[in-house]
Amino acid sequence: MTDLRKLRVGIVGCGKIADGHAEAVKHLEGAELAAVCDREPLLAEQLAVRYGVPAWYGDTGEMLARERLDVVHITTPPAVHLPLTRQCVAAGAHVFLEKPLALTAPEAKELIDVVVAGGRQMSINYWPNFDPPAMEFKRMLAQGAIGEPVHVEAFIGYDLAGAYGQALMSDAAHWVHRLPGKLFQNMMDHIFNRIVPLFPDVEPEVHAFAYKRREGFRNDGTDAMLDELRVFLRGGGVSAYGSLCSHARPVANTLKVYGTKATVEVDFNNRTVVSTTSQRYPSAVGRLAPPLQMAGRYFGQAKKNIGQFRRHEFHFFAGMSKLLELFYAGIRAGSKPPIPYSEILRTAEVMDRVIEQVYPVQVSEVAR
Amino acid sequence: MKILVTGAGGFLGKAIVERLLAHGQNDLRCMLRDTSKARGLEAIAARYPQARLEFVTANLRNPNEIPRAVSGADMVIHAAAALKGSPAEMFMDSVVASRNLLEAIANELRPIRVVLVSSFGAMGVAELPRGAMVDEKTPLEQHPAQRDVYSHSKLRQEQLFWEYREKYGFELVVLRPGVIYGPGGGHFSNRVGLSLFGRFLHLGGNNLLPLTFVDNCAEAIVVAALAPGANGQVYNVVDDDLVTSRQYLALYKSRVKPLRSIPVPYPVLMWGSRMVERYSKRSKGQLPAIFTPYKTRAMWGGNQFSNAKLKSIGWKPVVPTREGLERAFTAFRTEPEKVK
Repeated sequence: MTDLRKLRVGIVGCGKIADGHAEAVKHLEGAELAAVCDREPLLAEQLAVRYGVPAWYGDTGEMLARERLDVVHITTPPAVHLPLTRQCVAAGAHVFLEKPLALTAPEAKELIDVVVAGGRQMSINYWPNFDPPAMEFKRMLAQGAIGEPVHVEAFIGYDLAGAYGQALMSDAAHWVHRLPGKLFQNMMDHIFNRIVPLFPDVEPEVHAFAYKRREGFRNDGTDAMLDELRVFLRGGGVSAYGSLCSHARPVANTLKVYGTKATVEVDFNNRTVVSTTSQRYPSAVGRLAPPLQMAGRYFGQAKKNIGQFRRHEFHFFAGMSKLLELFYAGIRAGSKPPIPYSEILRTAEVMDRVIEQVYPVQVSEVAR
Repeated sequence: MKILVTGAGGFLGKAIVERLLAHGQNDLRCMLRDTSKARGLEAIAARYPQARLEFVTANLRNPNEIPRAVSGADMVIHAAAALKGSPAEMFMDSVVASRNLLEAIANELRPIRVVLVSSFGAMGVAELPRGAMVDEKTPLEQHPAQRDVYSHSKLRQEQLFWEYREKYGFELVVLRPGVIYGPGGGHFSNRVGLSLFGRFLHLGGNNLLPLTFVDNCAEAIVVAALAPGANGQVYNVVDDDLVTSRQYLALYKSRVKPLRSIPVPYPVLMWGSRMVERYSKRSKGQLPAIFTPYKTRAMWGGNQFSNAKLKSIGWKPVVPTREGLERAFTAFRTEPEKVK
């Protein structure tokens, strides 16, 4: 019968991304959003009022003491993820954290060690990897349709004038500017968490370079932020390119995997997973066929998406709901969490290697 | 008397500074988020040789930056507010910012008169019958979560001011403007309609628009701010000779630019709102409930508006509505529409 009890969920950190978490939890069966907390109580209050949450707090300790939470979503800036995790785990709660997990890979490892030592579980909001196209890609990979990965290209676009971009460009004191890897650190989980699972478990070679493409100086804290990142990686027989691009349009979000059997492109924004055709028939006539085959494959994707829309499975944060469903199920069953800790740590290590190369000064300052 | 104006570089803030100078209030401290906004104010001050304008840059999100702006001020006119952004950002810039300002005022430990620019959005109009009179006796919104985030944040902001007045006993005057318009402002209030999928949906029908020309609104704020008997009072701000949504749209089309609009009658809008809300619930939020019957009643139900209380303290519009619309539309011809 205990399985039927709803998990009591809390949120710490009531900024912009907390809305996505509240929305996802609200619609999940088997969970209830019991309380929210922010050190700015007015922010906690607005989230609670808008989502009908019964309790809000300005102090995490007080929330944990009173609410007996099963799971806490930590949606604060990463600098306080580790102390908050310690507090939640000590209070018996499992934790679900926003990316990036911590300021450095060693700190990320410490955070996971705290969770494991406390006999709790954790996961991180790698939601695009649980969106419908990503799930389809994982199935194709598991079924052997792609063969062995040879090369991977992960590309994420960023809009400096978009909703999130504007928030940091208009505020030199924004916490993103204080991260050792600045904008890249806040975004590149989504590059490397797609590459790392396709790599063998060896320490990869990482070559990164970055630059600032936008023009002009404002003479404030935003000037130091680079906006274009390119990374080359190699681990065993697999290589990869990772890019974060703030100026190319459209603002894309794609993964292309060149396998020994097939090459597949996942488009996270357009929600398509399409394998590239090749010429099967001879001569000029044969070259007429592949574009038509590609059109047919895209048509199939459109049909599948319409089906998902009709079944109400096509939400913006569909991946977050899926990930939470798996995470909560793992907690109930005492089984493994949906994202292996080793993958989270390997992602964090690659990020450290990148930051060391593109912001060398900041990393040495953090170490001091 | 030294008067601090927050949001002084904004659309309304600049007009407030101008009206204060016109009323002979020359000792003004203008709070700006960045110094680039000072240029417009300097141009205004140039028309008033007696003006002593002081500029302070401060971000109201940061409590440390506020005391030096409040220090020595006898009056604070709070016109800064968030008009866009995520819900968290809007609450930061309207509500948390207000709390930070109020704390600084309370810490000054001397009498400061506080003037808040609130909003029509703070009032609970969804439960009024269509065509009912909206005035200062209209109760505050009881179900803010069912309204848009702007209205929610403005309500919370106004409540906060009354709470602090209760606690610290300073003088407080609250103004609730309707739709502030004018050169440099938005082309369309949502009360007229919304651009959706490349078409303009005209949702306001024959509803009266609670318009107030930016200079008239600023005049109202200044008159109330300086009226000795206004302490503890609320004043709704709308102009005389209001036009309907249909008249506004027709005039816009003839004076600014042609626009393909689709009129949506109120019963159809209400039916559509019920459908959107139902679908949003059934699909667990696959599409957001941008239209709900509650929001529709509040925004497009249609009301009458009174400015009698404002007139009782001596406010008169400085620009008649006919001229205000003319000036706004002339400017709109060359000003690109801001993205909301």
